[in-house]
Amino acid sequence: MLRIEHLTKQYPGGTQALDDLSLEVADGEFVVVVGLSGAGKSTLLRCINRLVEPTSGKIFLDDVEVTACSGPEIRKMRRRIGMIFQQFNLIGRASVRTNVMAGRLGHTDPWRSLVGIFPAADHERAQANLARVGIADKAQQRADTLSGGQQQRVGIARALMQEPTLMLADEPVASLDPATSHSVLRYLEEINREDGMTVICSLHFLSLARRYATRVIALKDGRLVFDGLPAEIDESRFREIYGQDALDVEIT
Amino acid sequence: MAEPTAIEKPRGLSSRWRGLGLSLRTVGLVLLVVLIYAYGWRATKIDVYQLVTGLPNMRHILAGLVQPDLLVQMTELVAVEAPLRVGAGPKDASISGTTGARVVVTPRSVQPGEQVVFEGTGFPPNTEGRLLLGHQTARPRPITQIRTDVSGSFREAFVWPSFAEDEYYVRVETQTALNRWAPSEALALSLEKIIETVLLALMGTSMGVVLSVPLSFLGARNLMRGSAAGMAIYYLVRTFFNITRSIEVLIIAVIMAVVVGIGPFAGVMALVFHSIGAMGKLYSEAIESIDHGPIEAITATGATRLQVVRYGVIPQVIPQFVSFTMYRWDINVRMSTVIGLVGGGGIGYLLIQYINLLQWRQAGTAIWLIAAVVMAMDYASAVIRERIV
Repeated sequence: MLRIEHLTKQYPGGTQALDDLSLEVADGEFVVVVGLSGAGKSTLLRCINRLVEPTSGKIFLDDVEVTACSGPEIRKMRRRIGMIFQQFNLIGRASVRTNVMAGRLGHTDPWRSLVGIFPAADHERAQANLARVGIADKAQQRADTLSGGQQQRVGIARALMQEPTLMLADEPVASLDPATSHSVLRYLEEINREDGMTVICSLHFLSLARRYATRVIALKDGRLVFDGLPAEIDESRFREIYGQDALDVEIT
Repeated sequence: MAEPTAIEKPRGLSSRWRGLGLSLRTVGLVLLVVLIYAYGWRATKIDVYQLVTGLPNMRHILAGLVQPDLLVQMTELVAVEAPLRVGAGPKDASISGTTGARVVVTPRSVQPGEQVVFEGTGFPPNTEGRLLLGHQTARPRPITQIRTDVSGSFREAFVWPSFAEDEYYVRVETQTALNRWAPSEALALSLEKIIETVLLALMGTSMGVVLSVPLSFLGARNLMRGSAAGMAIYYLVRTFFNITRSIEVLIIAVIMAVVVGIGPFAGVMALVFHSIGAMGKLYSEAIESIDHGPIEAITATGATRLQVVRYGVIPQVIPQFVSFTMYRWDINVRMSTVIGLVGGGGIGYLLIQYINLLQWRQAGTAIWLIAAVVMAMDYASAVIRERIV
């Protein structure tokens, strides 16, 4: 279970990204975070694994206070939280396998990993995870030779290497076309249903949120403006989140 | 200065200039620039007349370049030695030599004032040669020139002059040019030194890489920001890079020649010192320009800082690192050709010696070799860089 209490983040320069945000996410939920660009979605996700340092507030993951962790504790905590990114954030020149193995770094002996030695079990795990996202045959290819959708699946496989209990997905399909978006989100859905992994995913399109989320939260200027079931977002809610001039674009 | 008055008094002289679109400030600036250049022209003693009249002085070096000392024609030496006694002794002829060339000396013992005849057969035909007189305590000294006839024979007769009585020997030698060529001494020496030069650059660059690569990570702002200590190290490393980079290789070479003595080692140390700064800065900037995404992704997996560098940073910077290193090696090869001029070893040392001895053809050899190697390196580094990036 993830519990966020009065989370506030102010960037140097004065941007208020999160403003006293409190939230609880139960295990096994598929939470979609929606909101305009700059609403604080990315900052919220990055505060959870402390890629961004919150200004104030507390975050608990299974009753461990994430915000109080220091040094090695942060790394231990991060192992339990997988993350995928809008730009995939792969090493383009490295092979798919190397990229996936990188997901195991938190579990590997730091000195051995520096020379590139991983236990055999990790290699098997990598192959299994690649098979799970349907690109087992691409293991030896350079990552940048893959299509966008395939690269994001490598990103998922990399995150799965951590064997996390929570998966953060920061706009995972914003760089992909609609058809590919669905294929990527379906893998996240499958992980959520089969493994019971909690997923917190930020998305631009409400239609995608409606299709995949078990719960939708909406941010506006760093504040929580909606928290409920996908079906509850009607026209007026939508305008509240996205502004009066917005149009709901359907992604099918 | 003059401008404030111009602003206070809009009428008068300055207004006429404004009509031309010129302010007094512009005029002053132009005047200043003209003054600087005029003084610069004088200070640097630019003299076009001297340049034109002095051009013929280049003829030596140009002649050396046109006719570099590359090859020498191989010759065949035929030499026969025959004993000759000065003083009383047997008067018969002595025959020396192998089945090929023979020399007959008549008589074998000669008194001053007596006639002595040297006859030779079996030498190369129509060839110039020398007749020398030798003694066991001294190198043979030439007495006279000989020339063989069509059949390869010659005959020399003269009256023996007053001479200390002793056992001597005569030596007859002819030299014929062969149709074979061998590298000249200058070429062989230049080749040896140019290899030393390339290796000097290799060693200097390699050691520079070994030292500057680890430092470059500490000199990359994106990796070091986040803590005061990190930024302190960052500024320290960057300052170190700037200092080492700003001292010219030649100056360091002079200092190093004092420290470790004249020779290639001084040159290597000079290259290392300068390369640390020059490459370190480029490496650091390459690291600063990488995509932050993979770093974030690797960090999010719970990796340590070192693991993040190993898996998030290094794979991104390798092509640029290789490219910069090749480029630096290329520069260092060029640099090490002149390092020798100040005692840093390599071909420059040889070249300056040839020039000081006015051996222009040999200097030409060295210059051509430098040009060839620098061009080859330039090409090779371009090809490798293209293939890797």
